[in-house]
Amino acid sequence: MGSVVTRNRVCTSGVPSGRPLVFVHGFGCDQTMWRFVAPAFERDHRVVLFDHVGSGRSDLSAYDPEKYGSLEGYADDIVEICRELGLRDVVLVGHSVAAMMGVLAFRRAPDLFGALVLVGPSPRYVDDGDYVGGFSRTDIAGLLDALDSNHLGWSAEMAPVIMGNADRPDLAAELTNSFCRTAPDIARQFARVTFLSDNRADLADVSVPTLILQCTDDAIAPDAVGEYVHRQIPGSELVRLAATGHVPQLSAPEETSAAIRAFLDR
Amino acid sequence: MSDPDAVDPSVQLDRLLEDDPADLYENAPMGYLSTLPDGRIVKVNRTFCAWTGRSPEDLIGSRFQDLLSVGGRVFHETHLMPLLRMQGAVREIAIDVQRLDGSLLPCLLNAVELRGADGAPQLVRATLFEATARRRYERELLAAQRQAEESEARSRTVQRVVFDLAAATTEEDVASVIVQRSRAGMKARGAALVLVQGKADDPELPALRPVHAEGLSRELLRRLREAAGSRLALELAQGVRSIVLEERLRRDQPELAAAMATTGLTELVIVPVSADSKRLGVLVLALGDAAPGQLISLVEPGERRAIPASEIDLLYTLGRQAGQALERVRLHQETVRQAERAAFLLEAARLVADAVDVQDMVTRLAELAVARLADICVIDLVTEKGTTREAARHRDPARQEVLDRARSAQQLTVQAGGHPGLRALREGRTQWTRDVDDSRLAAMTLEGAQRESVRALELAAVVSVPLAIEGRRLGVITLAADRHRAPFTAADVEVAEQLALQVAQVVDKAQRFELESQTSHTLQESLLPTDPPPVPGLRTAVRYVAATQGVSVGGDFYDVVALPGGLLGLAVGDVVGHDITAAATMGQLRSVYRAYLAGQPSPSALIERLQGSWSLLGVQRMATALFGTLDPVSGELRVASAGHLPPLLCSNGTASFLPVRPTRMLGAPPADEPAEEWAGELRAGSTLVLYTDGLVESRSADIDEGLDRLLEVAARACSADPDALCDRLLAEMAGEHRPDDIALLALTRV
Repeated sequence: MGSVVTRNRVCTSGVPSGRPLVFVHGFGCDQTMWRFVAPAFERDHRVVLFDHVGSGRSDLSAYDPEKYGSLEGYADDIVEICRELGLRDVVLVGHSVAAMMGVLAFRRAPDLFGALVLVGPSPRYVDDGDYVGGFSRTDIAGLLDALDSNHLGWSAEMAPVIMGNADRPDLAAELTNSFCRTAPDIARQFARVTFLSDNRADLADVSVPTLILQCTDDAIAPDAVGEYVHRQIPGSELVRLAATGHVPQLSAPEETSAAIRAFLDR
Repeated sequence: MSDPDAVDPSVQLDRLLEDDPADLYENAPMGYLSTLPDGRIVKVNRTFCAWTGRSPEDLIGSRFQDLLSVGGRVFHETHLMPLLRMQGAVREIAIDVQRLDGSLLPCLLNAVELRGADGAPQLVRATLFEATARRRYERELLAAQRQAEESEARSRTVQRVVFDLAAATTEEDVASVIVQRSRAGMKARGAALVLVQGKADDPELPALRPVHAEGLSRELLRRLREAAGSRLALELAQGVRSIVLEERLRRDQPELAAAMATTGLTELVIVPVSADSKRLGVLVLALGDAAPGQLISLVEPGERRAIPASEIDLLYTLGRQAGQALERVRLHQETVRQAERAAFLLEAARLVADAVDVQDMVTRLAELAVARLADICVIDLVTEKGTTREAARHRDPARQEVLDRARSAQQLTVQAGGHPGLRALREGRTQWTRDVDDSRLAAMTLEGAQRESVRALELAAVVSVPLAIEGRRLGVITLAADRHRAPFTAADVEVAEQLALQVAQVVDKAQRFELESQTSHTLQESLLPTDPPPVPGLRTAVRYVAATQGVSVGGDFYDVVALPGGLLGLAVGDVVGHDITAAATMGQLRSVYRAYLAGQPSPSALIERLQGSWSLLGVQRMATALFGTLDPVSGELRVASAGHLPPLLCSNGTASFLPVRPTRMLGAPPADEPAEEWAGELRAGSTLVLYTDGLVESRSADIDEGLDRLLEVAARACSADPDALCDRLLAEMAGEHRPDDIALLALTRV
């Protein structure tokens, strides 16, 4: 398999002939975010998981600040992965900012995708006139500061190990907070790209069946934003989850899986 | 001896260690709380309550993440909570907890997740340590690191600029480097380098020229230039300054403010570009809201971020670097241009020397000028017919037609009064228009189609230099540069003046020469008999063909004159030289030989007498001549030659030279050599041909070859019709290019 698979640490499981489900993680951690949801689809689907370049155990040397300076760079990777694996009629399950990456990937290559599942999507986090995104510019500046205070076990000394130098497994095992560990510069840029993008105009182009999963008391993607996305994507379906917070695939994996399955079975 | 009251230290320690677990929990030196998986607090210790100023009743039931700052809440959702779910514990997470009074308590948090038998989360236990000092220290470290990075980025920008500038060889190179690098370095929406044309301290307003602009509209630059106006020198001296889109600007410079607003700019930063004390121009950086498609700016729309002092320092440095590079490039270009100018003048001199005539010269000079010096070159000359346009060339062949259109309508004499060419002629000195704006364009053109044609030429600068010699104005050379070329320098104008001097000298000489030439031709025409007199028994034909090269006039002549006693006097000759003196000598000679011949009709005696009296005649030139007498009745012919070519006899299809032995030329130093006379008969049907050397020298430098060829041609052309013979001889012997005049006289005895 090509460099794309290594670059994004693509992992496939499930039934090779099944309808492919591509799970895309958002800003924060890596593909392990889907560990409680993905297995539920392995019996009848081809399940694809991967890490964004710069996150998890992707190839950090492939990180190009220019390319990943906008969500388009990430969307390109999604399209590349689907093509590399020869996927068709893909169901893309994108969480948080990855929901917008999915929308952009669909715009790039509409023929690849058969459905979108947007978990806690937000096309724009910063309020703008009548539009309520939930955050002010000051909030985002505070968030960027908060990120600077947490490098989650990243240190220059450990960097070679973290970046996949496998001859010191003893060290790798000791690492804390490993799932959400990212090089500080990359984390900072990813945060900027996530929270400072505006993809509202792209939503109307989505023309495949789309499911929006909206959590209760989601501090990052509030109800109003979920409703906005629902209004903008023609024919989309909005399902409110009892799960609270922003990460239902961890806090309520059964409810999340059930909602996705119900959508797919329709 | 022991103190009965003294408590055994080990007992005291035991007592202390027999802590009440509840007290240990409540008053532990750390915050302690337990939450449900969704974050709702179910238990909290007193320490945490005291730190946050909140009561346990307040806290129980509320969600832990709601106690965090907004940034912390996002971090909780995206990192903390997922980590807890995935690895069951988190360590050393930095978060800020909001106190009741709104202030923030920086903490470090450790947490573990308790799970049931099915692995489902049941409870989260968290401890928090106050980390105010430690976090402050970290923040300071971070700030210092950021500053170091920024400083490094700045010095990298300067390094790159210095590196790139070293490779720049033109003003455009310098401009492109400085605009691109400073734009990237300042994350500016647009940037432009605007240079002063001429001297910055010019009492007149110096012209400004944008050399390179990116992301800035022409309209904006124009408005900025207008706004700078007469205060420009002052502006340049003020150092880095900002023009902010605000109320005052909207009031004072509404056009500039509008131009900024329509392109989404909030601020223009003006950076002086200077070298030593010379102010060369300004670098303009345009700041504004992020362009659509890019990330949302963290700066509130319309809110202005002050430029930090460190960036101002950077801009100063960039301005100075640009200034020094510009000076270096200009010096280099000036050296190159000087060499080019010297080569240009040399080539112009060569061209002037080679030119066939004035028209040829000005045409070729105009072509040379647009190849080397200017975009447009127009040369007007003052002639008897008024001012005539002799040449008008555009560098770009595609735009020649536009130039022709602009010039065709009017001659210079009917141009608008402000035309620089007219002013140069009128005032007799160079007119240099540095910046052709609308008002100047209106002054130099006539309203209507002509103005539009001239406008289409996009003139930027015009230089008109009069062609003058000894106060006489002979014409004017006008050079123009369009907006795509670097402006004329003083050195360019000097070259134009030197060129004008060269041209003026040649035009002057040509005009004088032409005058003399015209006079000579007039004189010559008046001296040559138009038609030979009719003589019974004879048919005569004469031809005079002028040389084709140069404007000279020859001293050739022919003559047929009836002498007293029925004889006919014949003469053909050639006075040395091609000028008015030669023509005059020929006239003088004719009066004298006619008089002598009338007195004594002997050709040899005539030659003897002419030679003898040559010095008395005051004739300045030598001449060759052939004289003869013919009796038309008997056919008796006598011929004598003073250094002239032999006469030709055509008879019955044969041609031969009469064996007349030539003696010295008229006016040649005396020699003991009496003139000889040939005597014979011109038979009926025979034709005698007298000619000058132009006939046989035209095709070949070797006169013998020419004579042989003449015999051949004459033999073939032999005819009883002298006119037909003359025409055949000229047609075959004289080419299109004749270096000398030809005189031809043919007589046929019938």
